[in-house]
Amino acid sequence: MPGVEIELEDVSKSFGATAALAPITRRLRAGQTTALVGPSGCGKSTLLRMIAGLEHPDSGIIKLGSEKPSTMASRGALAMAFQDPSLLPWRTVRANITLGAELAGTVDPQVDALIDLVGLTGFGLHRPAELSGGMRQRAAIARALVSEPEVLLLDEPFGAVDAITRSRLGKELPPIWRGRGTTAVLVTHSVDEAVQLADRILVLTPRPGRVVADIDVDLPEGGDGRDVRERVFRDLAGQVLDALEKAA
Amino acid sequence: MRFKGVAKLALIIVVWELLVLSAAPNVLLAGPSDILRHAFDNAGLLARAALETTGHAALGFLWGNLAAILLAALILLVPRAEGVISSLALVVFSLPLIATGPILRALFGPGDGPQITLAGLAVYYTTFLAVIVGLRAVSESWIDLMRVYGRGAWTTLTKVRLRASLPYLFVGLQIAAPAAFLGAMIGEFTGAERGLGVLTLRAMRALQTEATWTLAVLSAGIAMAGYAGLGWIGARLFGGAPPLLLFAPRSRPARHAAAMAVETLGVVLLILLLWHGLMEVLGLNQFFAKRPLDVFGFLAQQPARATLLGALGQTLSFAFPGYVLGLALGAGLAALIVLFPPIERATLPVAVALRAVPIITTAPLFILALGRGFAGTVSVVAVMTFFPTFVACLQGLRQAPGQVTELFASYGATRTRLLLSAQVPAMLPAFFASARMAVPAALLAVTTVEWLATGNGIGVLMALTASTSDYNMLWSCVAALAVCAAAIYGFVGLCERAVLSRYAPEQLA
Repeated sequence: MPGVEIELEDVSKSFGATAALAPITRRLRAGQTTALVGPSGCGKSTLLRMIAGLEHPDSGIIKLGSEKPSTMASRGALAMAFQDPSLLPWRTVRANITLGAELAGTVDPQVDALIDLVGLTGFGLHRPAELSGGMRQRAAIARALVSEPEVLLLDEPFGAVDAITRSRLGKELPPIWRGRGTTAVLVTHSVDEAVQLADRILVLTPRPGRVVADIDVDLPEGGDGRDVRERVFRDLAGQVLDALEKAA
Repeated sequence: MRFKGVAKLALIIVVWELLVLSAAPNVLLAGPSDILRHAFDNAGLLARAALETTGHAALGFLWGNLAAILLAALILLVPRAEGVISSLALVVFSLPLIATGPILRALFGPGDGPQITLAGLAVYYTTFLAVIVGLRAVSESWIDLMRVYGRGAWTTLTKVRLRASLPYLFVGLQIAAPAAFLGAMIGEFTGAERGLGVLTLRAMRALQTEATWTLAVLSAGIAMAGYAGLGWIGARLFGGAPPLLLFAPRSRPARHAAAMAVETLGVVLLILLLWHGLMEVLGLNQFFAKRPLDVFGFLAQQPARATLLGALGQTLSFAFPGYVLGLALGAGLAALIVLFPPIERATLPVAVALRAVPIITTAPLFILALGRGFAGTVSVVAVMTFFPTFVACLQGLRQAPGQVTELFASYGATRTRLLLSAQVPAMLPAFFASARMAVPAALLAVTTVEWLATGNGIGVLMALTASTSDYNMLWSCVAALAVCAAAIYGFVGLCERAVLSRYAPEQLA
């Protein structure tokens, strides 16, 4: 299903006396991948959770297309990969990946292809406890992708993955959701990861988070276009780092 | 491994036999050969009694666990009811079974009702706690996942919580198996016609050493077989050993004293209303089914009040030293094991195994060996308190994070310093939780020993009043024990809060 535009209008959030996020107004374009980058505690995960409907903003409106997050979630058109893989330990890898489809009462024909793609070939019938941390994280990403969501939310999805796998997944996974026109929002600490995966990067200040830079990533998909060793890549990463330092 | 186990068992049997052979004739001990001979000579009688008691225990196990699961589900579906449901469940659990027995006997009359009900009462609280802990032992991100899929509380319950709670439920069921047997036996102590409890009572009163030992070994064996069998099934179903569940969840966060007083008063009033209402709704005869006002009226008179308070004082004078001794020995041995790990290999498997034995079924042995006075009674109470405290404290001492232990090691700290500065604070919640849970257990132990043997205290008063149909005094005894158990439980909770806030404030967070 093609993605929808995400509209954030004056969205803010506090936890008790602590302001986590200053009012933010932005439109995240349909079919694009937007990365939220900022120091720890700047509210980027909070913003992602509000887009998912897991937290309610203190003020402002969040719309996914014309819907509220909860409405989209109830249609099964929203998917999220968490920092922690959150696999149910009593289900096999395959059963974990198809959980969303099972809840929606549908059968996903591409689950095996996706298991192969995330490098879990032959592990479909294993339990999560039998996998390494990186393999679990890949299963969690496959679970988020398998339902072909309109909006895909990724909260530091490659945090527990080793550098080589991270690089491989960074090259192989984005084309899947981009090819489907999915709107994706990614939270990450890694500037390189943001440049590698996103079409647009929002840089947030320390708490309360405010957007201080809105950078388009105009690098070609595929080939060496998003290779961290390429000069254009390093220039763009430097631009994001400058914005982060200025914000701090 | 299996050979080692068999060899150890054989060694224990040989040492036991030799001890009996070398003991003075006035020591009331029976050895394995005596027990085997008695069991062989009375095989039919023992088999029938064992079948009877096991049947009562199984039915109580079924009903008690069912009630526990329903109560836990109710709390999950109506979270606001948690305070009231948990308090009521705790008060009923705090009633020593030996006190509830005569009341049930009066209400049910002859038959199996009291045995089955007591077996149910003996199991429901630990299973209730296990299920509650299990239903909540889910990762926040699993709940978030369900919400991202647009699913509500029901799908979360059926797809996540119920399945996640199964290993905990099994631990609860495992602990419940010997508890059900204990409940059934106590039910039989209080006036049944058949069963191992009846035979135990007769053997005790006739000072039949061999019979008493045979019955204790048989009872403990059946209870341990239930415990081991369910543990084996749990391990096969859920892979590896299920999680240890040794104590109640920590008390709820501190509230204002006035709010706590109002809540306590509310629960007390609710209990009195339920007590009165139940008697009225069931239309029970006021001659044997006393209402709260009957008890208040009776206790307003002398010498009834003085008699009751005198007996209660005697009971507490036995219960308190045994309770403190059991706690101290449990925590002390756990600390010793941490300081000298090789001790663990010798003690822990025995302690974990004995935790499954309904100690009360072996109480007659203590009385035979140590006499009917202070030593025998205090020993039973101490043993009853010791095992759960020991295992919980050992688990608690190991709660200290590995990184903290390594940090102390990197500073070259001694084991004693590590124990005092890191492991004991980590152990305190487990210690206090087991101290709270041990309150009803200690009262059960002391009243049962009094009932069976000593001729002192409120246990005997209940036995006498049950046989003379003095229901005013019987109900007053039960009410006094319930108030006592709840008050001591509350007092331990206050001590827990005071100690933790001073020595381990992070444990109250």
